[in-house]
Amino acid sequence: MGRPGFVLEVDERTPALLVNEGEGARLERFPLGTRVIYPPDSLPGIRDVRAAIRHALLHPHGDDPLPALLRPGMRLTVVFDDISLPLPQMRTPDMRQLVIEQVLEYAAAAGVDDVELLAANALHRRMTAAELRRTVGDRVFRSFFPGHLKNHDAEDRANLTEVGTTRHGEVVEINRRAAESDLIVYVNITLTGMSGGSKSVAVGLASYRSLRHHHNVHTLRHSRSFNDPPKSAMHHSYDRMAGVLADNVRVFTVESTVNGDSYPPQVGFMNRREWEWSAADQASYLAFRKLNGMAPAKLRRQMWQRSYAPYGITGVHAGAPADVHPYTLAAVHRQQLTEVDGQSDIGVWGLPFICPYNVNSVMNPVLVMSLGLGYLFNLYRNKPIVRQGGVGIFYHPMPAEFHPVHHPSYIDFYESVLSRTKDPALIEEKYEEQFATDPWYTHLYRTSHAYHGVHPLYMWYWGAHALQHLGDVIFVGADRGAAARLGFRTASTLGDALEMARETVGSSPSITYHHSPPLALADVR
Amino acid sequence: MHVLLTGATGFLGQAMLERLIVDHPDARITVLVRRRGDASAADRLAGLARKPVFRTLRERIGAAGVRAALAERVDALEGDLGSGGVPALPGTLTAVLHCASTVSFDPPVDEAFRINVLGARELYEAVLASGASPHVVHVSTAYVSALHRGVVAERSLDHAVDWRGELRHAQAAREAAEVRSRTPGVLGPLLAAARAEHGKAGTSAVAAAAERARRDWVHEHLVTAGRLRGQSLGWTDVYTFTKALGERVAEEYAQDHDLRVSVLRPTIVQAALDLPYPGWFESYKMMDPITLAYGRGEIREFPVHADSVVDIVPVDVVTSAALAVAAAPPEPGRPAYFHVGTGARNPLTQDDLHRHVKRYFTAHPLPDAGRGHVKVPPWRLNGAAPVERALRAGERAAELVERALPLLPASARLRERADRARTDSRRVRALRRLLDLYGGYGGVEAVFGDANTIALHRGRPPGTAGFDVAEIDWPHYVADVYCPAVTAASRRTSGPRRSRAAAGGADVNAALPEGRDVAALFDLEGTVLASNLVEVFVWTRLISVPPAGWAGELASLARAVPGYVGAERRDRGDFVRAFMRRYAGCREAELRAAVAHRIGDALLHRSFPEAVARIRAHRAAGHRTVLITGTADLFVQPLAPLFDEIAASRLQVRDGLLTGRLERPPVVGEARAAWARRYAETAGLDLRRCYAYGDSFSDRALLDLVGNPVAVNPDHRLHRHAAGRAWRVEEWGAHTGGRLDAVLTALSGPARAVRPAGRAGAVR
Repeated sequence: MGRPGFVLEVDERTPALLVNEGEGARLERFPLGTRVIYPPDSLPGIRDVRAAIRHALLHPHGDDPLPALLRPGMRLTVVFDDISLPLPQMRTPDMRQLVIEQVLEYAAAAGVDDVELLAANALHRRMTAAELRRTVGDRVFRSFFPGHLKNHDAEDRANLTEVGTTRHGEVVEINRRAAESDLIVYVNITLTGMSGGSKSVAVGLASYRSLRHHHNVHTLRHSRSFNDPPKSAMHHSYDRMAGVLADNVRVFTVESTVNGDSYPPQVGFMNRREWEWSAADQASYLAFRKLNGMAPAKLRRQMWQRSYAPYGITGVHAGAPADVHPYTLAAVHRQQLTEVDGQSDIGVWGLPFICPYNVNSVMNPVLVMSLGLGYLFNLYRNKPIVRQGGVGIFYHPMPAEFHPVHHPSYIDFYESVLSRTKDPALIEEKYEEQFATDPWYTHLYRTSHAYHGVHPLYMWYWGAHALQHLGDVIFVGADRGAAARLGFRTASTLGDALEMARETVGSSPSITYHHSPPLALADVR
Repeated sequence: MHVLLTGATGFLGQAMLERLIVDHPDARITVLVRRRGDASAADRLAGLARKPVFRTLRERIGAAGVRAALAERVDALEGDLGSGGVPALPGTLTAVLHCASTVSFDPPVDEAFRINVLGARELYEAVLASGASPHVVHVSTAYVSALHRGVVAERSLDHAVDWRGELRHAQAAREAAEVRSRTPGVLGPLLAAARAEHGKAGTSAVAAAAERARRDWVHEHLVTAGRLRGQSLGWTDVYTFTKALGERVAEEYAQDHDLRVSVLRPTIVQAALDLPYPGWFESYKMMDPITLAYGRGEIREFPVHADSVVDIVPVDVVTSAALAVAAAPPEPGRPAYFHVGTGARNPLTQDDLHRHVKRYFTAHPLPDAGRGHVKVPPWRLNGAAPVERALRAGERAAELVERALPLLPASARLRERADRARTDSRRVRALRRLLDLYGGYGGVEAVFGDANTIALHRGRPPGTAGFDVAEIDWPHYVADVYCPAVTAASRRTSGPRRSRAAAGGADVNAALPEGRDVAALFDLEGTVLASNLVEVFVWTRLISVPPAGWAGELASLARAVPGYVGAERRDRGDFVRAFMRRYAGCREAELRAAVAHRIGDALLHRSFPEAVARIRAHRAAGHRTVLITGTADLFVQPLAPLFDEIAASRLQVRDGLLTGRLERPPVVGEARAAWARRYAETAGLDLRRCYAYGDSFSDRALLDLVGNPVAVNPDHRLHRHAAGRAWRVEEWGAHTGGRLDAVLTALSGPARAVRPAGRAGAVR
């Protein structure tokens, strides 16, 4: 076991600390007394992953061993998490490849012919052929693509089916092929507490009709946080839907968890605590700064997007979703949970280059918002690290850049909705229907590689809880025009940002810097 | 007393009419007025009641009073001097005030003769025919003797020019010029220039431009002919030349028919000193534009000598003198001459004038459109040579910039530069015209003696208005009367500078008026897409050829580029045809699949999100959306769901293979306008409410056709065309992907992955 997570209090001996800011990072000196949240040391990965997979499949929780579920003539659908997990993308072989290969081996041995592979991309963009190949591996890809290896199409009415309705009146509508299968094997990689479990099938294979019951402002405002399923209204809804699904279709889930090795060894300093940097770490930081600064923007983006994480696998568990997930969550907590003593007036987050929706793409301002005020703000249990009415300070250059193919509805959302209002509830009421049913967006989602028309609105809802909780939001180093469009203030330096924050939280605020990635889940007492 | 007034709608004529009505309540007045468009002579006369010249009178007796006075006391005779259109004059006339004249100083020669010479002859003929023997006050100009030096006496001009012969030649000049303008020597270069400038916009645009150029050539030719003829006989320009011959006509009629004729020669008539009110003037002329341009800081130096006399005279001094002259008829057959000017007894030097004007603008600077006020430059007044040099340098620089800029690609910044350069050169040209005109009058060294006039002033009946120019207080007149009057309008209109930046796309999209009979027509390349035919071709090749063959493919394309550039210059259609031949031999189904699976994303990558948003906004407003493109329909399939109609050419297919030919001519240039016109007819569209979007001058015909044309990232020529017509200009492409990204997108598509490496080739 490595060292547990801990909270550093900045004193005179504390060096400058690493802060992510998009496709870059800086060393920042924090005021004395600032608390810095570090995750536990990266856990060691399982050495023989294939053996662990076999073990999990043969000794499942709450279900029979996989081979016992397979029989000739059955319809088997293998569903896997799409490109939004894990972040950054992991080195090949992808964990999903290893699991799928093993599952297919058992299926072949059992004489199952009717096998379909589906990416659980919900309203995300379709994965390209190259991305599918990277995820499932060459062998699987060559045997199944394109006929039997597909992206889920949430707008293909003919291939959707309503499985049922929860006692809260939530419609459960998922992919027809999966729903009508004798067995769904769901291959998951869990990075944070929000993924896996009930979410996998109920969300990954759903349609807009079904998703809107939990992807809305009300639910997200009552998910505190969405990384803590017991306290997340969103997960309560998932659970209800999973209950309906369980009555109708058999799901055998395989969940795996990763450790904290988010960056390749060339930038190993990113995974280490700053005062423990060796001379080599110092040198590689300097080299990184120089190279990153000099590289042309396009090349820089390529370098970051191609920095695949050498994740170690900390656990593989299989079986019935409800029985498997607690083991998965425990593994996530072992890697990420850090106890924090009370809230502070100001929270500081450095936003990395990647979020679930800009893999091989561009991080546009709306995604920056959802990454900062959605994903990172919600990396807590019990209470946010900032008090109600406190200030969030985020680092990101936030250029007004968009990927024209992946994010077409984001452009329109940014240009014509955010210019009118930034209120999530108003946006939901006035614009959701229009964006969700727009035929052009639907066309692009289905035939090109665009996120669904409604997706940018979901990203905005993702920050709804933080928008309600925080008294002010300041972005350090952000493009002023873009930040203003989102309704945020900008500062050139941390000093200026703290100065501005004083208007809201008084003259001697307490500060907490949430140091990540590697991700730390703050357990605020 | 019954007075005939000609030129009553002009500057001097209006002043005369007002004075007659106000000061001579017993006089009967007849005005000879030309019909203009739908307005008859009577209408135009009635219209005068609203003019500023009657402001003082309106204040006294009300607008209705003025209308009544005009209706009761003034008869309008409809007729046009110089066109054989003079009606019978009343037999009761006792005086004629002949104020009609050309408005311009550089009219075509036939025009100048028609009005100033032929018009005078027709007037005298009509006077004779009427049976009356009125006293004719013939208004000429002092500048008929402008090129004399020293004092010019008030008497008949000394020259032996045969006005009948000159008139004959002048009248024949237009026909000759029209004939010459149609000869190959003239028409050839004009047509060539029109082709170079408008070739891309199509043949009818070229024809229209060529015909416009020919007419301009005729006009210019006649203007030059008049000026040169005048100068060759010792006058400054065709205006003074024909005014002098007009005097000769008057003298002949006076002598031959014992008419009583007085020739009144004012100098430069300017705004009123007192009557009808201080500062009254009708329109900007002569000195006024220069004063204004100076006040705006646009003229750094002026081509005259400090000690030159500028002989201006307020209009009310001229009208008072004219009325006094009219009241004192000379003996029949012996014309009398009167100079009305200030140069002899109250000279105003250029230096004095400049000092007074500068003092005025220093105390009351013009607003500088949101940037405070204009600081006027000091003039050194060192004569014409230094100014001429500076002006020529300015003209050359402006011309050079104007020629060089269009050769560069039309980025937003360069377009703005081109705009500025065009404004600069327009300003230089305007300045050149002003100075050329004014040069002839501002640097005159003649002094116009006014002994006759001053004798008349001294002998005038008590109680009538005086006209002694020695009483004019120049500092007061220039700074307190003249300058405030000419700058008043300019102060009213100069608000803050108009922002040229296109309004945010969101607002435009929201503000589209709904309508079923409206279509939005979009050009493709450069308007909806940042890419073009060539880029698409490169994608298809790179997809189909293994990486080892890329260099060869690109080299082959590069070798063909000069040919394509030539074809593109000649005709867009030629280029499209030539380029499409590259697809000869490709399997249609494979190309279609490649477009669907791989080129589609690349195209979307290179599309303008603003264009897509606008197309969708048109749809939302109930408009039909139409794509008009020269490329083949196959390549626009990924965008097809955006459009209700696509006008594109089609690639010919034989046995599943493309032949490299098109099934019908590409829809380019004027063909687009023709297509759109027919489409509008069949679909029942109102073209005036339709929208069209284009980026290139070759889209001009299409854009000209509709009521709401929009130039998107326009090339220089379209930009100029758009600016001249106040079209919307928009900059699109804020979130468009680059060329390289698009290539990578095309290469990362699924089709490549489907194919085993050995079986490459969607396109062969």
